[in-house]
Amino acid sequence: MGALDTLLDHPALWRGRSATPAPDAPVWPSGHAELDRALGGGWPRGQLVELLGAPFGCGETRLLVPMLTACGQDDYWIAVIAPPATPWLPGWQTLGIPPERVLLVHTEHDRDTLWAGEQCLRDPAFGVLLAWLRSPVETALLRRLRLAASESRACAILYRPPTATAQPSPAHQRLRWQATAAGLELHCLKGAGHWARSGHPVQIPDSPGR
Amino acid sequence: MAIELPHLALESLARAEPDPERLQRPLLVVVTSGAAPRVHTANRTARRAGARPGMALGDALAVLDTPELVEHDPDALRTQLEMLAGVLLRFSDHVHPEPEAHRILVEVGRSRRLFGGLEALRQQARDTLFDLGFHTRIGLGRSPAAARLLARLRNPAIAEDPESLRRLLTPVPLEALPLADATREGLRAVGLRQLGDLLRLSRAELARRHGPELLDLLDHLLARRVETLPRFAPTPVLDLPLRLEHEIHATTALAFPLKRLLRQAEAQLRGLNRSLQGMALELTHREARTRLTLERGQPGIRADEWLPLWQTRLERETLPEAVIGLRLRASRLLDPPDRGDSLLAGDPASRPPADQLPAVLARLRARLGEPAVTRLVNRRTPRPEEAQGSRHDLAVIPAPVAPTPGQRAVGAALWLQGPDPTTPPDQPQWLGRLEDGWWDHGQDARRDYARAFDRQGRRLWLYRCLRSGQWYRQGYWG
Repeated sequence: MGALDTLLDHPALWRGRSATPAPDAPVWPSGHAELDRALGGGWPRGQLVELLGAPFGCGETRLLVPMLTACGQDDYWIAVIAPPATPWLPGWQTLGIPPERVLLVHTEHDRDTLWAGEQCLRDPAFGVLLAWLRSPVETALLRRLRLAASESRACAILYRPPTATAQPSPAHQRLRWQATAAGLELHCLKGAGHWARSGHPVQIPDSPGR
Repeated sequence: MAIELPHLALESLARAEPDPERLQRPLLVVVTSGAAPRVHTANRTARRAGARPGMALGDALAVLDTPELVEHDPDALRTQLEMLAGVLLRFSDHVHPEPEAHRILVEVGRSRRLFGGLEALRQQARDTLFDLGFHTRIGLGRSPAAARLLARLRNPAIAEDPESLRRLLTPVPLEALPLADATREGLRAVGLRQLGDLLRLSRAELARRHGPELLDLLDHLLARRVETLPRFAPTPVLDLPLRLEHEIHATTALAFPLKRLLRQAEAQLRGLNRSLQGMALELTHREARTRLTLERGQPGIRADEWLPLWQTRLERETLPEAVIGLRLRASRLLDPPDRGDSLLAGDPASRPPADQLPAVLARLRARLGEPAVTRLVNRRTPRPEEAQGSRHDLAVIPAPVAPTPGQRAVGAALWLQGPDPTTPPDQPQWLGRLEDGWWDHGQDARRDYARAFDRQGRRLWLYRCLRSGQWYRQGYWG
């Protein structure tokens, strides 16, 4: 067994389908030191992350701007599926996100949103997926999305109304956000790291420059 | 190489037929141009019952139990044959269709090595046409005339040099030669039965008695004289019509004829050495037409890639009325892409080149509709609500446009909405001023932009109209 262990620890050996993520699992930077620590390096690529909260427009998109900038500059595509408002792309561009890499998809039903999200995740060109759900959805569809996310290199962000907190979800991580006077407060409802166990919220202050 | 299509008329019909059951019933192709309608072709069931090509229609109807009757359409067959000639262009650049004889000649002398010998080449040509739904008789010869003759006789032998060709043709009966009736009668009268008998006679005597055409034929057959045939040049557009013999009411039933069309398109494009990125499908109804288009991220011609896309696309459609015909067209054919298929192409970590569109776009559009999948482009006008246009043509990546100074002045908000009238905010953080349209009386816009919180914690993107003092919500700061 000793010889096998030495072999398996060899850095040149890549093992497919390893159950635990590698210590240097790819991430997109979150732009906040405390959040980076809590998330284990940054927004995880190859995972489905749920962001639960309301109402739309409290800074929960601005939270992701550092990730979107990094993704766009690496020439990956950003899929924006069923957003409640139109992206103001000159604003995105001022923040450093290339607008020609942003694909906007409108859907009529949440079912289509999840389907489109799954399709985008299966395409290696995409680095970030942002999708908005309006109402409760079947767990089986979420499971498909989780599967597609874990086979991709993209970070899949799913915005859901706070009522979905009560419903169990197959997402890798679930974060609940709340607007405060100074910025945004993030609670981890589900996740693999110490953040979920500690139960401490992370405060994201509004950055005045942006 | 001469390729004969003995069942061209029937197989053309079969291609359009979604229901294979119908083909089992007696079917007659009828010529109505003459004095009395005659049978042109009969399918196997009809022939078994006693119908023969050339029979008067009345006689055939007497022996058959309610056969299907289809009118003979030489123009359609000619188009069909030219389509097949286009397909065969992948084996040689010199192809010559002969529509009267339902035959296509292909010069393969230079391609034989490439395709692994004549026998392999013949098999490939046969498989290609069989996949499109056509049976073939293929003859290979040193001259077009010899190949034609061997194809007609279903003789698979290949004669490589003049001597073996002569030996091969010697036992051929004279009835098989394409001769004028008078000449054939004359030869039979003097007791000649086989081609070998002719070859033993003196040339001058033959020419004197039976005319120089006979000598020409012999020379052509034995490749002593070169027979030049015009080259077939296909039109460089894809336009494949298909008439359905039965009406189709459900979109799912369209898959079968569509698959045929896509296979045919693939074969034709392979022959033309072209590729395509988008195509249009026209559904012909009795009165009207439905036109559907499909665009993909990457060019490709494979039928099994296009078919699922079309199926997803068709699922969205409800047919206004029954479909009686299909037509597949593509006006823009592209040069074939480089073969970039690498061994590890399936690796999700490998990223496609930056200037290429994601392949998923075609699938998204096929299901959600073209307007649902867009990219926003900057129109470079100052007023945010008019400054963005959605761009549906995704095939071209537009050059990035930097935000104009006016767009920078209103602030880097993330989401656009409205504008909707709103109540004045408590503590606005001012962003900048926008002035637009001052030259246009009554249409001017002078706005002071700001961002502010509302009671629910939303970060609003607002402006105050300087004319009226009214506040408007332009969107969300993010």
